[in-house]
Amino acid sequence: MAEASAANTQLLVRDLTVRFPTTRGTVQAVNGVTFDLARGASLGIVGESGSGKSVTAKTLMNLLPRTAEVAGDVIFEGEDVRRLASEGREHFWGVKMTMVFQDPMTSLNPVKKCGEQIAETLRYHLKRDRKTALAEAEDLLAQVGIPEPGKRVDQYPHELSGGLRQRVVIAMALACEPSLLIADEPTTAVDVTVQKHLLDLLDKLREDRGMSMILITHDLGVARGRCDEIAVMYAGRLVERSAPETLFSDSRHPYTDALLRSIPRIDQPSHTRLEPIPGRPPELINPPEQCAYAPRCRFARSDCLESIPDISGVAGMHEFACFHPANTDRGREALAANLAQGCTVAGLEISGAGASS
Amino acid sequence: MAGSGHAPLREDLEVLLTVRDLEVEFPVGKGAVVHAVSGISFDVAAGETLGIVGESGCGKSTVAKSIIRLNDIKSGAVDYQGNNLARLEGEELRQLRPDLQMIFQDPISSLNPRRKIRQVISEGLAVWGDEKGSWSQSRIEELMLSVGIDPKFGDRRPHQFSGGQCQRIGIARALALDPKVLICDEPVSALDVSVQAQVLNLLEDMKKRYGLTLLFISHDLSVVKNVSDRIIVMYLGKACEIGNANELYENPRHPYTRALLAAVPEPAPTVDVSEGDISGELPSPINPPVGCRFNTRCSHATDVCFTDEPEMQRVGDSDHYIACHHPVAVSINA
Repeated sequence: MAEASAANTQLLVRDLTVRFPTTRGTVQAVNGVTFDLARGASLGIVGESGSGKSVTAKTLMNLLPRTAEVAGDVIFEGEDVRRLASEGREHFWGVKMTMVFQDPMTSLNPVKKCGEQIAETLRYHLKRDRKTALAEAEDLLAQVGIPEPGKRVDQYPHELSGGLRQRVVIAMALACEPSLLIADEPTTAVDVTVQKHLLDLLDKLREDRGMSMILITHDLGVARGRCDEIAVMYAGRLVERSAPETLFSDSRHPYTDALLRSIPRIDQPSHTRLEPIPGRPPELINPPEQCAYAPRCRFARSDCLESIPDISGVAGMHEFACFHPANTDRGREALAANLAQGCTVAGLEISGAGASS
Repeated sequence: MAGSGHAPLREDLEVLLTVRDLEVEFPVGKGAVVHAVSGISFDVAAGETLGIVGESGCGKSTVAKSIIRLNDIKSGAVDYQGNNLARLEGEELRQLRPDLQMIFQDPISSLNPRRKIRQVISEGLAVWGDEKGSWSQSRIEELMLSVGIDPKFGDRRPHQFSGGQCQRIGIARALALDPKVLICDEPVSALDVSVQAQVLNLLEDMKKRYGLTLLFISHDLSVVKNVSDRIIVMYLGKACEIGNANELYENPRHPYTRALLAAVPEPAPTVDVSEGDISGELPSPINPPVGCRFNTRCSHATDVCFTDEPEMQRVGDSDHYIACHHPVAVSINA
């Protein structure tokens, strides 16, 4: 989202950095992540495990362990949430900004009835009395499309199916009418048909309430259909950000480009040969001062091993962090030079077969 | 939604494995049983990849495990090279075990964490020996090389490898005994997207190199289409549609298949998913619906669907079979 519409900006994240000290060294989980979110918009954060997407979300929600070293700014509706005074903190998370987690079974209390768990939020934050809170809980269950809400308030989580449980979690997150909902892999534990219903529900709730959403997922397809903008993360950095259509048709970062080529697509005939990404994601302990993707990248040149590329491109439209972006002349030159040598500067053997730009 | 009916069984082909009327039930106490698989019939031709797709709880893993007798079979037959695997016992069954190997969903928990990977891969050979009656380190090294693991890491233990590498080790272990059939139960579901393609390509390469026949189970419709020649769509213990992979995805005729394809986050423009909306929840497999098992969620259901179970029947003249009283018409958009 463009900086110009600052008044409309709900969330500003600047240079967010998260480090975890461990006995083996410091894990650089998130490195200088910067993005904005407009009021009512939805941002998809896509990446593999270890890319830092969940840590980013947990930082926003103040859910990191005490050992985490966090730097950078998180400005929500003009307020720096990392420096909130204690009375402000108490009713911020869970009220204005809420989160839905991947596994509904572990985010619900197994020994408490569903209705009571939702009512608890209302009683604590909004000081409702027990009866009103339970009635509101039932109403919330109806809003998230749970059939027979009157019966469900008195049931325990294990009595519900996975899809219904996730709806209960969503109802709980919505209880205090948040203006930002962070959904961390909300549909990874459920089947495709249930996934569709849950995503439809989130879309509808977002529209009805004018709520903004950050959807964290490893599934590019999910993000494409549900978000106004997609941010791709790799090794703790944001490597590309744009509207879904641009990202899919004209990706710039070689990682995004390679990822899109490596995923089996449903419209390809069976036995279409996939183009896998060689190697695997890097270690985040003491990473070298170089582009983290360089060892796996077909486009890598010597400059990629010398420094870390900054985010460039058109701010708010299409940003990427790469010296030799795919689908550009610079990228094509780099690839042609690497193909001529048969390998990249990082020693990755490449051939003319497969991906091109 | 019937597995009953043998229409999809082929006679003209070199069939390696035939499953007939397979029924599997699990007791859950108080006399109740889960009807996990209720009369499914299909066959797998030599060298073919058969995909099984469906939601969790549809019985796809149970079918796979039944074939190699990892769970009890209530009734039905599994014909493999003239033997009925469902009835064999003791030494006769043991003799056939090397022919059918399996790889599992979670690559790390399927390897013994206390063993070196060389031992993990060689365990089958230690039991069976290779053709010379004993096995050699060079055989292990050859296997490791073929799945892309450097043999010098043979003395490492599973926790020292990534998920993708562990899955490669699992594949090497399965291949050690020269199997004819490799059963893959969600082999890439636990892997990151960038590593998925590596393992899928490896499976394809191994299939060609060792002349394998694959049974590939997944809930991911795109992955199943990519690897399979033929696909079975399962729902609540029954098969609802069987057909050639491309044909099935181009012209899905069963309302449930359409619903599955319509739920893919990025429905492909080439796939007709109209009339494929479903609502409601999966019914309990303890007390499945009478008639067509899909009747509680199907928008096409009429009286007959609540009384009679549809039989598998052929659609047109292609390799495409469906069990439905009201197949969805193919749209005319040519």
